[in-house]
Amino acid sequence: MQYILLQAVFLPLLLSPVAYLLGRKSGPNASAWFSFGLLLYCTTIMIMPIFSGTYEEHYRWTQLFGEFGLLLDGLASPFAIIIYVVSTVVALFSKPYMIARITSQFEERANSQKQLISGGTTMIESSSLKNYVNNQIGAYFALFLVMAMGMLGAVLATNLIEFYVFFEVMLIPAFFMIAFWGYEAKRRVALLFFFWTHVGAVILLLGFLAVGLNVGSFNFADIKEHGIPQNILALAAVGITIGLGVKMAAFVVHIWLPHVYGAAPTPLNALSSGAMLGVGAYGFFRLLIMLLPGEYGHFALFLNLWGLATMMYGGIMALIQDDIRKLFAYSSISQMGYIIFGIGSASSLGLSGAEMMFVSHSLGKVLLFMMVGAIVLQVGTRSITKMGGLAGKMPITAVCAVIGALTIMGVPPTSGFMAEWTLFYGALQTAIQQGSTIRMVAFGLGLVATVITMAYVLWMIKRVFFGKLPENLENTKEASWYVTGPMMVLAGFTIVIGIYPDIFFNQIIPFMKGLVGV
Amino acid sequence: MAVGPSEFGLSATALNAWAIWILPFVAAVIIPGVAKFSKRATGGVAVAFALASAISATTLLPLALGNNEIHNQIPWISSIGLKAGILADPLAALMSNVVAWISFLIFVYSTGYMKGDKDITRFWFWMAFFVGSMQLIVLSDNFLQLFFGWEGVGLASYALVGFWYRDKKKDHVGIEGRRVLGLMDYYSPTHSGIKAFIMTKVGDIMMLAGMFLIFAFAGTFGFRELIENTNWAIAMSSQHLLIPAAVLLFGGAIGKSAQFPLNEWLLEAMTGPTSVSALIHAATMVKAGVFLVARLGPLFFALAAIGINMDQFFEVIAWVGAITAFLLATQGMVHPEIKKVLAYSTGSQIGYMMMALGVAGLSRQFVDGYTAGFFHLISHAMFKASLFMAAGSLLHIVGSRFMTDMGGLRRHIKKTYIFMWAAGLGLMGAPFITTGFWSKDAIFAAIYESGNTWALPIFALALITAVMTTFYTTRMIGMVFFGNKSKHVEEMEKEGYHIHEASPSMWIPYGILAVLTIGIGVIGLVFEHQIHHIFTEYLASTFGIKSDIGNVAMESQSVLGGFLEGVNPVALISSLSAFAIGFGLGYIFYIGRFADPVKFVNSNIFFYAIHKFFLNRWYLNALIYWGFVVAPLYFARGVYRYFENFVIEGFNLVPEKTMAGGARIMQATQTGISQSYLYVFGAGILIVVLLLLI
Repeated sequence: MQYILLQAVFLPLLLSPVAYLLGRKSGPNASAWFSFGLLLYCTTIMIMPIFSGTYEEHYRWTQLFGEFGLLLDGLASPFAIIIYVVSTVVALFSKPYMIARITSQFEERANSQKQLISGGTTMIESSSLKNYVNNQIGAYFALFLVMAMGMLGAVLATNLIEFYVFFEVMLIPAFFMIAFWGYEAKRRVALLFFFWTHVGAVILLLGFLAVGLNVGSFNFADIKEHGIPQNILALAAVGITIGLGVKMAAFVVHIWLPHVYGAAPTPLNALSSGAMLGVGAYGFFRLLIMLLPGEYGHFALFLNLWGLATMMYGGIMALIQDDIRKLFAYSSISQMGYIIFGIGSASSLGLSGAEMMFVSHSLGKVLLFMMVGAIVLQVGTRSITKMGGLAGKMPITAVCAVIGALTIMGVPPTSGFMAEWTLFYGALQTAIQQGSTIRMVAFGLGLVATVITMAYVLWMIKRVFFGKLPENLENTKEASWYVTGPMMVLAGFTIVIGIYPDIFFNQIIPFMKGLVGV
Repeated sequence: MAVGPSEFGLSATALNAWAIWILPFVAAVIIPGVAKFSKRATGGVAVAFALASAISATTLLPLALGNNEIHNQIPWISSIGLKAGILADPLAALMSNVVAWISFLIFVYSTGYMKGDKDITRFWFWMAFFVGSMQLIVLSDNFLQLFFGWEGVGLASYALVGFWYRDKKKDHVGIEGRRVLGLMDYYSPTHSGIKAFIMTKVGDIMMLAGMFLIFAFAGTFGFRELIENTNWAIAMSSQHLLIPAAVLLFGGAIGKSAQFPLNEWLLEAMTGPTSVSALIHAATMVKAGVFLVARLGPLFFALAAIGINMDQFFEVIAWVGAITAFLLATQGMVHPEIKKVLAYSTGSQIGYMMMALGVAGLSRQFVDGYTAGFFHLISHAMFKASLFMAAGSLLHIVGSRFMTDMGGLRRHIKKTYIFMWAAGLGLMGAPFITTGFWSKDAIFAAIYESGNTWALPIFALALITAVMTTFYTTRMIGMVFFGNKSKHVEEMEKEGYHIHEASPSMWIPYGILAVLTIGIGVIGLVFEHQIHHIFTEYLASTFGIKSDIGNVAMESQSVLGGFLEGVNPVALISSLSAFAIGFGLGYIFYIGRFADPVKFVNSNIFFYAIHKFFLNRWYLNALIYWGFVVAPLYFARGVYRYFENFVIEGFNLVPEKTMAGGARIMQATQTGISQSYLYVFGAGILIVVLLLLI
């Protein structure tokens, strides 16, 4: 068992041209199944070493930055598993969605050309459509694989520069996905997305450089050992916090996210909500709490309140959205708020809850974005007011979406409850220990935010799936197996974790206990 | 203390106890599979599993009678040492029997009631899920696991209240077009489902907070562990957190049991199929709150032994119960929809139970109030399930939920008529022959004898409520069965519809319960003594709560002889007169029809105003909507428009516009005209030269 993590990280990158070529030569099916198979393989080999505890690999790298390591410990493994599981299932789900998207883009283009030169036979059109789709979908899956690789690399990295590189790598495919297959002002939004996340990344980099250059090494292990000089502690901590806050779209620096979610193709939304935002959360654990424990002690209350503001604000904004994607965009912001809230709890169970929240939010939100995808595919509208009564037409989608919704609301027996109770309990525990009234109030308001979450989720479900079916939707059909299959897998997964959370808690809780004491 | 047959490991009885709650879930899981082969078979499967679960529950009865308990645990969240487990003590054993058998009968009834519904699979899935969750609440040995069941019943109620999700007009509740404070008093099933779920969730977050507070000090969620070592209570009370935690836990019960101020969801919950209403009101959901209080009451009361006074907690319970009982009874008197009248009555009766459990903690004889509350729970479960099922049958027969669309039905549907009288008498508390009488009387006695400072006002409220209860029940029966046929019924008959009894699968279940209401009522006192005996021993051995040996009431006060020996005379006279007044008024207006109630109300501005006030639910519902739905939405829209889209969006626009502007300036300099370049170049040289000269 060697090079396991190296394979898991770099195989998708190395084989991404294959996905492109397969798409070009043999069409979407080959490309989609190839990507799926590849990611499934990588997921499997990556999960195996987890059973035997912490696992790491080290490789020589440049002298300047230190060594290139890949580490799978109690903190990284839940992130790693979820990132790849989500990527794997989303790969399948992408196929029907992207075909439909690319086809409609082709038609748009053909229509605009038609206005210029009328003519052309349908024969030529259909064959050129096929070529167009094959080409584009190949490119899509190639980008998809690179993005998955970037996210995994970031959570396995053992070195600041390595982390930063992977952190940036995942942005590039996302940028192109939005620019190529997005909606409406896609170019502008792609740029906006890149701008914001890049600003975040650069602030982060400043923090990294400050740390690395002063310590003389970028390796996590070395930094931990030597400690960071007093004079740059605060600077580094602020840089890291703001950088990651932007990444997680925390309140005040969240504005890029609704724009992006409104314009990006749905599989990217799923991937980004389910996995990419979580990398920010991972960063908080690995960079702030582990490398700067002293500063974390000072920042914890601030993070707690920042999280509270984010979860409240996101929830309130989600209540009044009509565009279903924007609704989930704000919902993602709100859920990231839960995670930040938990990160600020400064107790082992609270931190465990925050990480569990990532797991649970990923599963739930990916389910819901798949539902959005299914609806966009089958119904062709994003406006909630134009939907209604779809439960009768799309029963499997409806059931899975409700399970996803329950996960987001934190209702047992879904994983959401396991995340929420540990998270909130942790917050309360610290409040009692410190005798802090502010924390106590924050805890209470945090619970109120769960009611807001419940309100917008249930209201959304009601308006989409229940009530009167509009006449123009009479002929709606259930989505294809490419959509419902992955949904059922995730729905099952969230319930299994909800009933038996030890799958993840066994890794997370001992780790967090080691991190902050009991 | 009595120890069950096995603490760890699975004996046959322990397995049975697990089976009680697992079996319904198994049914829920396999029902979708069964539906692939035959949709009709789903009902059979559900009923069979409900029966099996009920039989498993029955095996616990000897345990309860012998004051034994089964406490069986398995590992769960091992990383923090939490265990899952079942705790079948006498309280849980009795409760789980009530739940299991009542829901079994309701299941049988549902096979008839839901016949031919095309979403029958979903119906049975959630019904089974509902019962399983309730049994999980009853049998859990710790808070966290209980909370699974707790949210499970919330979820099931959401799904079942909104069962007819297509929101057809006939499935709504309320009167179309009627407005209260500018808000519609007319609700669709899906709206009501959400309302039920969110309102109970408000209670649930309070409960979570209470649970966490206790966990933070005790390090355990287990009910037994909390009794064994009470250091947590001492630590909490020294920080003044114990009573808040207890009251927060009670908040969960307020939500689930639809007590004031979270009572409003219960009325809209009537949009569900009637069998669901019966289940919610008789066996599951609202009873969960009462059960929680019954679970916690002794735990907190027992703390008196280590010098911690929990009176405030019990006062809150008693007052919440009393206020709810009164509040909802007033509204029950005026509503025209039969299911809603029953719903109001449920909330009100649950209020009685809370009152009894609260008063129990305020009195010397804890067990009296405790028994009274639980006895009322049992008798209410029987007659209310029966009444609901009968009402569902009426809905089938007449095709309308309004009592004004019924009338004069007694000759056509004799069985339903008789059973509804029997169960209705139970609700009214008809003297000596119904369970309702004895249990209500026990509550009166418990309040009266508690000797608490609040006993008198609470007693007065309870008494007035009893009068109103009798009145609205009489009114309901009168409006449905007496007087002339309504226009609606006459039209139906004109169209050739023959009004006839519902199918046997429907009337047999409510028949059984109606007969039981009277049957157990006749031996009510004996029955009550038996429960009293079980609880006396249970409380003494498990919690160390000693009570004076004796009957329900203290013997010293007993002046009555014969079969009434041991009954408190004041309570007896009060409940007799309450029944007489309520029934008399009801008889005058609705059975004898000596006076027209509509004319009576309109004759006098005072009565008219009160009637309107009650009909508009004291304006509480409308105020809740204004405060927690309408206003927040306005607020959110405002924030979205003026903050999110202006201030926050500015973060995007500022760099974007600055850069675009900068680019434009740069662009403007690239004129491509050689002269302008030369001019600028020259100017530049000039400046440099000037600078050098200076």
